[in-house]
Amino acid sequence: MRIIVILLVVFAGMGLSFEAGLLGPLGHQVGHLWATLSIFGVGAALLWLISIFTSTGKNQDMRSIPKWQLTGGLLGPIYVVVLTLATPVLGVAMTMIGVLVGQVGKSFAIDYFGWFGTSKQPVDSLRVTGMLFVIAALVLTYLGVQS
Amino acid sequence: MMLFMLLAVISGMALSSQAAINGQLGAKVGVIRSSLLTFSVGTVVTLLLIFFFEPSYEANLLTVPKWQLMGALFGIVYMVVMVAAVPKVGVAIATVATVFGQMVMSLVIDTQGWLGNAPIELNYWRLASMICIACALICIYLSNKQQEKYNVSTS
Repeated sequence: MRIIVILLVVFAGMGLSFEAGLLGPLGHQVGHLWATLSIFGVGAALLWLISIFTSTGKNQDMRSIPKWQLTGGLLGPIYVVVLTLATPVLGVAMTMIGVLVGQVGKSFAIDYFGWFGTSKQPVDSLRVTGMLFVIAALVLTYLGVQS
Repeated sequence: MMLFMLLAVISGMALSSQAAINGQLGAKVGVIRSSLLTFSVGTVVTLLLIFFFEPSYEANLLTVPKWQLMGALFGIVYMVVMVAAVPKVGVAIATVATVFGQMVMSLVIDTQGWLGNAPIELNYWRLASMICIACALICIYLSNKQQEKYNVSTS
């Protein structure tokens, strides 16, 4: 059972690369922002449909949600636009590794400096080592293109 | 090329901030509704940018082959799978499985030139970089595992 769940997550991760692979050529044909809209427009429409059918009655008043928690919607398009711009130049793998560097580095920084109201945590040497490995991977793919 | 690498790193930072923010929102209104809010705001912002900054192209979203519009589906499937899987297998394994899937598929897409991408040869540099990713995954897995143990013992 557990292995099936793990395999599902692996497939879901493959889907993320597929998404990135679709975006580059699409952005080239119709424009990077239109390609981004295909993600958010289709995504919002689908989620709206899903939310109708899965409504749990946990209907919280929109006004009680802190406004800064909606800024996630501003950050998402940054990621998608960059995918459409970067994949044709870097390829899917290098783009994904670059994104990974940003993710690992950012989560390390959040813990280390105590941003977003999280409590400061001592340096986690495993996490630093992991980050160094990811950076090394990025450098290696870069060298691979140069050679 | 350096510029695009930098952009990719920055977008990864944006992605992890978004995940942190959405996590807080999701706890309050549920995962589907929080994603719907995020995607709605994203749609409106993208539309505004298109109105003012997008030059016109020959093709548009309605003329390209329909399979090119499937990107959003993969993102939503990923989200749903993660919501279902994380309570069962934990964050540590889920993270490693995600990145593993991402790397395998991106290598295949690059090497085969799928989906209309220019093919990129699989050379030793790329293989070496995948070994580094594997090492990084081991570190991330162990570190997440420690944190999970810590969270269980303190809660």
